Amino acid sequence: MTAAHELKFESPGFFKRIKGMLGVDFYRLFHTPMFYIFIAIAAIIPAMIVSMTGTAGADGAAVQPMYQNAWNIVAADSPLYVISDIGEYANMNMVFIFGGIMVSIFIGHDYQCGYVKQLFTTHAKKRDYMISKSLTGAFSMACMCVTYLIGGIVGGMFAGLSFKVNVGSLVFAILGKMVMSLGWASLYAFLNVIFRRYFGISVASCFFIGTGIPVIGAAAVIGNNSLLNVFLYGSSVYACLGSNIVTLGVCAVVSAAWAVIYNLLGSVLLSRCDVY
Amino acid sequence: MNAIEIRGLSKSFRGLYALDGLNMTVPVGAIYGFIGENGSGKSTTEKLICGHLVPDKGKIRLFGKSYKDAGVRARVGALIENTGCFPDSSVRDNLMMQAINLGLSDRAGEINRVLKIVRMEDHAKLKFKKCSLGMKQRIGIAMALLGDPALLILDEPINGLDAEGMKMMREILVEITHQYGCTVLISSHILGELEKIATHYGIIRQGRMLEELTARELEGHAKVFTSLKTANMQGAFGLLRQKFPDVRAEDGYIRIYDFDDTEFIVGLLMRNSFPVSEIRKNKIGLEEYYIELMSMKGDAKT
Repeated sequence: MTAAHELKFESPGFFKRIKGMLGVDFYRLFHTPMFYIFIAIAAIIPAMIVSMTGTAGADGAAVQPMYQNAWNIVAADSPLYVISDIGEYANMNMVFIFGGIMVSIFIGHDYQCGYVKQLFTTHAKKRDYMISKSLTGAFSMACMCVTYLIGGIVGGMFAGLSFKVNVGSLVFAILGKMVMSLGWASLYAFLNVIFRRYFGISVASCFFIGTGIPVIGAAAVIGNNSLLNVFLYGSSVYACLGSNIVTLGVCAVVSAAWAVIYNLLGSVLLSRCDVY
Repeated sequence: MNAIEIRGLSKSFRGLYALDGLNMTVPVGAIYGFIGENGSGKSTTEKLICGHLVPDKGKIRLFGKSYKDAGVRARVGALIENTGCFPDSSVRDNLMMQAINLGLSDRAGEINRVLKIVRMEDHAKLKFKKCSLGMKQRIGIAMALLGDPALLILDEPINGLDAEGMKMMREILVEITHQYGCTVLISSHILGELEKIATHYGIIRQGRMLEELTARELEGHAKVFTSLKTANMQGAFGLLRQKFPDVRAEDGYIRIYDFDDTEFIVGLLMRNSFPVSEIRKNKIGLEEYYIELMSMKGDAKT
């Protein structure tokens, strides 16, 4: 009680602040069911896609399996710049759609219940908020990538698909997609900051961007443009079953670039606008 | 040193000024009662101090430093509009998250301490959404008290509570303000309650500070008056007008200001055949002073 009379103001450094903010986000992540629901969804969806598309139809006729190789549920055979077949698209990139919805709900709750007020009343900076949400979202998506992989393998085993693959390329592809989680999470955090007052629009925008519809649309107009692919969508589809160390490097660079750009934009926006 | 120093603060929403060049000074250790009508700018001022809103212009300094200084902000606790708790998390989990954010070392001990202050130690496991309004307000105060705050900002903490909740909240506020020792900025419409704890007052109207005064200055402004009723009000009023400089007919009573010798008044009226049916001594408190100030400024404006 007596300490309250002392007027000492020690400024917490960046690492202390971010440690506190990340501590809150991870505490929330592990103490609420949402995270566990999403990692379960990330496991169930690929298992269902792989196993159900390989089973017989209602009339007993054999259904053409969506994949011949179980690892296509993780990544396409070659980099997908312009998507021609939805089956090629239905791979680990779906995690970024689930992740987008999860990040939207996570940040949306902050605003809906007014928790951001508690955060910004204390020493938390707007920049810390963006960084913390991006890292928490990236961690969640990386975890979803792992459960997605498990679900895909189990589904592939049930469907009796081939598991033939270059293990090195597969590992690089998975790591590439996991690394891209940071970039995607930053993008989603930024979108949620823009639409912070409108929870529904936040979720819709993340779904819209996460499914790649704008990129597919842009690609349809512009065509196969490497710059468009790399900076808008390319990196995560670049990670295919023919990946190597360069692929991983590209994913890391693009992810870092996205993270820096979207965190900066989000921080500036939050600093210049009212919290609500 | 002042805990809060605001100079020329303005804030507009879609072209309408909520604050228009507000000046405000809250000394360290003060319990500052922030008074004003609905929409006068109290909550906007508090939100600006807490960094929730971006000012159009003006300066805010807390304890001599910029209000954005992380060191100062780490020691600001606030309850503005709602508590900012997650409804599906327990009371303890909500407090734990704020304790983690503040980087407190003895989190469990600190949470128990603030729960005890707000009489919520038996409800720590309860989900926040299951709490009553009074409990939610108390949890909000507990959140604000975490981490040894030097400045507490409480926006209408008594509003909407029932009589029992209001009594408990008043006891908690008295305990915090008298025993905890931090500077408190508290806005409330319930002026009678505010009068019991405030050491300083700020009266705001249409985004501008009308007057700042200490409780002692308010005491100085406080007029005593005698209210009475007789069978012949008109005759008694005429007689009293001749004897006293400030006599008014208000709310069905004759009021004699700055004079509270009831025996003398009763004697005078009896001698002139005006038997008194009711008489009592009064004193102008914060509420009457506020109403009078508002009407004076309103008249001046028109």
